[in-house]
This record gives sequence, C-alpha cells and structure tokens, in this order.
Amino acid sequence: MMTREQVRKTEGYIALLLCTLAALGGLFWLVFILGDVLVNGIKALSPALFLNDPAPPGVEGGGLRNAFIGQLMITVFATLIGVPVGVLGGTFLAEYARGRRIARVISVLSDIMVSVPSIVIGTFIYAVLVKPVGHFNGWAGAVALAIIMIPVVLRTTENMLALVPWTLREAAFALGAPYYKVITQVVYRGAAAGILTGVLLSIARVAGETAPLLFTSFNNSFFSLNMKGPIASLTVTIFQYAMGPYDDWHAQAWAAAFIITVFILILTIVGRALIKWRYR
Amino acid sequence: MPVSSRKNPVDVTFSAITAVASFSVIVLVVGILYVLFSESSLAISKFGVWHFLSSTDWDPVRESFGALTNIYGTVVTTILSLIIAIPVAIGIAIFITEISPNFLKGPIGVAIELLAAIPSIIYGMWGLFALSPIMGNYVEPFLQKMTTGIPLVAFLFQGTPMGIDILTASVILSIMIIPFTASISRDSFNLTPPIVKESAYAVGATKWEVVKNVVLPYSKLGVFGGAVLSLGRALGETMAVAFVLGNDHKITSSLLDAAATITVTLANEFVEADKDIYLSSLFYLALVLFMMSFITLAVAKFFLIRAERRFSR
Repeated sequence: MMTREQVRKTEGYIALLLCTLAALGGLFWLVFILGDVLVNGIKALSPALFLNDPAPPGVEGGGLRNAFIGQLMITVFATLIGVPVGVLGGTFLAEYARGRRIARVISVLSDIMVSVPSIVIGTFIYAVLVKPVGHFNGWAGAVALAIIMIPVVLRTTENMLALVPWTLREAAFALGAPYYKVITQVVYRGAAAGILTGVLLSIARVAGETAPLLFTSFNNSFFSLNMKGPIASLTVTIFQYAMGPYDDWHAQAWAAAFIITVFILILTIVGRALIKWRYR
Repeated sequence: MPVSSRKNPVDVTFSAITAVASFSVIVLVVGILYVLFSESSLAISKFGVWHFLSSTDWDPVRESFGALTNIYGTVVTTILSLIIAIPVAIGIAIFITEISPNFLKGPIGVAIELLAAIPSIIYGMWGLFALSPIMGNYVEPFLQKMTTGIPLVAFLFQGTPMGIDILTASVILSIMIIPFTASISRDSFNLTPPIVKESAYAVGATKWEVVKNVVLPYSKLGVFGGAVLSLGRALGETMAVAFVLGNDHKITSSLLDAAATITVTLANEFVEADKDIYLSSLFYLALVLFMMSFITLAVAKFFLIRAERRFSR
C-alpha cells in the first residue's frame, strides 16, 4: 500500500513527465520538419536555380529565377504599401486617439484581422482588383499581402508607442513643440527598434503566404517584371511543383522551401533579438 | 489629452492622415463583407441560405451547389486537430513555465516560436512528402488493426489507408497550431501571481498540485481564449491541408477518407470556375468561412480581454 504522500508524489511525477514529453514532442517536430527542409533543400541548391528560368520537365538546368524575382517584387511592393499604413494607423491609436473608445475598437478589429483566413483576402482582392481588369496581376498580389501586413504592423506600432514614457512627450511639449513634431522626432525615435521589429515580423509573415496569391498574382512560367500581368512567386511555385508528378519539380520545390524558410527564420530571429536588446 | 488648443495646420493634417490609415482597418472589414456579399448574391438568390448550408450537392456540371460537405470537412479537421493540439500545447506551456530549468526556458521558448513562424505551405509540403507516407504505411494500418471489432470506434478507421485523408490533414494542422496555442497558454500561466503559488508550496503542495489547483484555475480564461483563437486559425488554414486532404466533396464517417474543406475547395476550384453561378457559389463559401472565423476570433478576443482585465485590476 502506498501512503497518501506517496500517491500524491507519484501522481505529480507522472503528470510532470507527461508535460516534459509534450515539450520534447514539440521540439521533435521542429527538428523533423526543419531537418527535412534542410537536407532536401540543400541537396537541390545549385547556381542554375537562381540564374535560370524554368525548363520543361525532364530538361536539365531549369531554375526558378522568375519566381525569386517575382516573390521579391510582390513582397517589396506589399511592404511599401502595408508598412506606412500600419505605422501611421498605429500612431493614431497610440497618440491622437489614445484612450478613446474608437482606438479600442480598431485595435480589437485588427487583432481579429491578423487571424482572418488569408484565402478570404485573396477572394476579396480577386473581386476588386482582378475581375475588373480581366486578368491576374502582380499588383493584386502585392495589395493582398499588404492587407495582411497592415493589422500586424498597426498593432505592434501601437504597443511600442505606448511603451514610450509619457513624460518624454511632456518634456517636448514644454519646449513648445507641436504634437506631430513630438511624434516624429521624439516618440518614433524612442520606439524605432520596436516598430522595426513589427515590420520585420510582418514581412516574415507575408513572405510565406500562398493562399492570397493563388488567384491574385497567380503564376507565370516565364520571367516577368510586369506587375500588371501575372507574376510568379516562390510559394505558389512550391504548391504547383510539389503537387506535380516530376522528380525535378519536387527537388526545386524543396529548394524553394529551403530558401523561404531560412529567410523567414532569420527575419524572426533578428526581430526577436532586436526587441530583446532594446527592451530588456 | 495634451493636444494643443491652438491648431497647428501641419498637426491637423498629420492627425488626419493617421486617422485615415487606422480607419482603413474598419474599411477593410466592412469592404470584405460587402464585396463577398455582393459577389455571392447570384448564389444566395438561387440557393437561399438554409438550403445552401444544408445541401451536400457540389456539382459544377448540373450547377447545383451546397456548402455542407465543405463545412463538414472544415469542422471535422479543425476539431480533430484541436483534440490533438490542446493537451500537448498545455503540456509544453507547463513545461516551460514550471518544470524546465531556467537556462532552457529561453531556448525552448524560441524554438516553439520558430515553429510558429514556419509558413503553412512548408507544413503542407512536408506533410505530403514526409508525413503522409508514414501515416499511410504505418500509423493508419496500425490504428485499423487496433480498432477492428471495437464498436463505435472501428467505423472511424474504415477504408484503405492512403495517407491522403482527414487524419493526416488534422495531424499536420495540429502540429501547426501547437506552438501558437502553447505560447498563449504560457503567457497566461505567467500571469499567475507568484505569491499565490508560493503560498500553495508553503502548505505542502507538490509542483503538480500547484499547477493543477492554482495555476490552471487562475489562467483558465486565457488558456480557453487561446484555444478558441487556435480554432479560428485552424478554420481558415489553407495550404497546410490542401496537399493532403484530397479535395473530395463528400461526408464520410471514416477518418481515412479524403474530404474537402472550404479553404481547400477555394484553393483548388476558384481559378477553374468557368460559370458565373460556380464562381458566385465559391464567393458564397468564402463569405461563410469569413463569418465563421470572424465570430470565432471575436469570441476568443472577448475571453482574452476578460482574462487580461482580471489581472490588471
């Protein structure tokens, strides 16, 4: 017979053991997925991947230059649209509308928008920017990604500006500075690292998005710099190649997955390091 | 508010610009609702609301569309993935906050967040190439063998194990939402006042009893909110399941059958839709999905705000 104490202790050990196993399990998946992406991705890396455009299946030497450039263009334009709107919107919530009900409503709505299915945003943009034009185009893809970015940047900016001590603003007011000058020259400087982190994380978030690009920027097997026409992206190419029947397509899909994953993990790590360094 | 009473024109302009930027979020939400609604008006007037939601038809040739098979697939994969993910995620959160030695807390937390940063298409592709063969060759036959003859369970694992089915999709979905749920649970656990925990230790509680009787009750609102938030995320996940679900419009009792979710249907058929009523029905599906996830996320947010308020008092 076990005593009451022994029962309690054993129960505790078993429960804690299960929790430890859960944590190990989580790490196991991380190692498994990252390991697979690393091994298969590095195997398929070659200069041709970056320098050449896709070749017909079976022909040696095909690459994904079109998709790398396309992805870069869509992401850069999405950032150029999404970041200013997000930062300015966050400024309004944290400064001009601080404490007002409208600020609360918008920040709750943004929190919801952060998690709204990205494919729904794709259908929305299809109706607004693709259907009227009559064909898929790169701008539609960039705008779709920008819409996903806005709430992320907006919320981080709002939080980071709120962390800047109010006394700092009062010091600037006391010197006679108008509010916009206080914001742009004092508050933004104090929160720069935090805002930058938000921007980096939002880029990391949209760089891997596929669903909103499927019917906006679509795909293009040829090299194109024309944002008014369909444009290739790494993620949509991964989807197409991985579902396809050819082995060299699969290899290229792994390589593209490797590049995207590394890019996103680096952005995430830099973002986290930045915020740790600044707000320790 | 310290806004100066003497209106500086630049200041007025700047505040107006920021206001417009932040109202863009409201415009977006209303705009998405309006556009999806008007694009699906053709399907709404043809099929109605109740008939569309309850019909299992999905027949582009006869132009008869219903959402039930898609909703069924979405709900089943989501619930199954939550059943797998939530206990594991809470276990991870408990490990990080209570068990792990201090020098491991940081690295494990980072690792979990990296797992959350990996894009869903990588999960989907990995699922197709790595997980699906394992499920089809080993796990699913094993589950079938274990459950044959057991009433009420055996029907869940009927059919030929192919690895492209509801079960595999749910497992990938669960791996995807575990880090997300775990990090929200961890944050809620950390809100427990240390002094309450210490009092429990002082009267002789074991570590597990402190977790079970102090930390979990204290953070249940936050954990629940986190779980509902994960539910909202899982509902709308597209690429992680698109590879391994098979896109087959049917309602099936077996987890080893192919199915279709709203997202997978949209991803596979949107570009191919050649008739107006087909496209309109797809927009209708998107509208249904948007409402489902928006309501779920709003509920989650409600609980998380209440959880926060309880502790900020």
